[in-house]
Amino acid sequence: MTNSFALDWYFITLIFTAGLYCMLVSRNLLRQLIGLEIMSKSALLGVISAGALTGNLALAQALIITMIVIEVVIVAAGLSLLVKNYRLTNSIDIWSLDKLRG
Amino acid sequence: MTYHTLLFILTAAAAVAAVMMKDLLMSALMLALVSVGASLILFDFQAPWAAVFELSVCAGLITVLFVSAVSLIRREENKLEDNRMRFYAMPLVMGLAAIAAWFYAVPFFESLENWARFGGRVNSLGAVLWDIRRFDLLGQISILAAGVFVINSIFPRRKKQK
Repeated sequence: MTNSFALDWYFITLIFTAGLYCMLVSRNLLRQLIGLEIMSKSALLGVISAGALTGNLALAQALIITMIVIEVVIVAAGLSLLVKNYRLTNSIDIWSLDKLRG
Repeated sequence: MTYHTLLFILTAAAAVAAVMMKDLLMSALMLALVSVGASLILFDFQAPWAAVFELSVCAGLITVLFVSAVSLIRREENKLEDNRMRFYAMPLVMGLAAIAAWFYAVPFFESLENWARFGGRVNSLGAVLWDIRRFDLLGQISILAAGVFVINSIFPRRKKQK
């Protein structure tokens, strides 16, 4: 059996793959954001796992709090763009974003 | 199988479920379950501050944002014909990724472990957050202000019509 750090990172890789696959195959803007969230969750778990390995849990927690704040702002901005785009074009398809009209 | 590994399996399963669900509302709820799993993992790593932040902000606030966005675009949901075959193929892709990662990524992570350098001179979160990473707080405040500015400029206040 492998040790804990490598096993943790194995599952982190799988979670990251799930998020990446979601972003690759979906045309729905909301699903793109969900995939981004899943990827950022895996990055967060990677930070805390590395922090636990090196005995730097306080620094890892500080970085995670920063990450969470940035994540919230990204999701709020992305969802507001989605709703505005839906009101303008009546579509949540990601290809409806390619019209650069002011 | 330890509790720790079980939590990771739960989180990975919730992530796969969040991608595969057809209903967007269920996807958002599964994303909340991913957040809860991540927060339990953080508690298990003895990182309570980050876990509380994760549980309150990611599992709470972001879920509320997603559910409200889903309720705003509810009618459009069924019109967009995503190719469902790609989502049904996801367990196959994840299985292949799991096998490949087991043989290629795990030895790499084990070799990475030998490079770990032990730090941890300061072991209180307050000292790290307020002294060492003080500049991060400025970044956090400015990105929060940027978020408010983005939302304010996307949804401008309507002028009164005369």
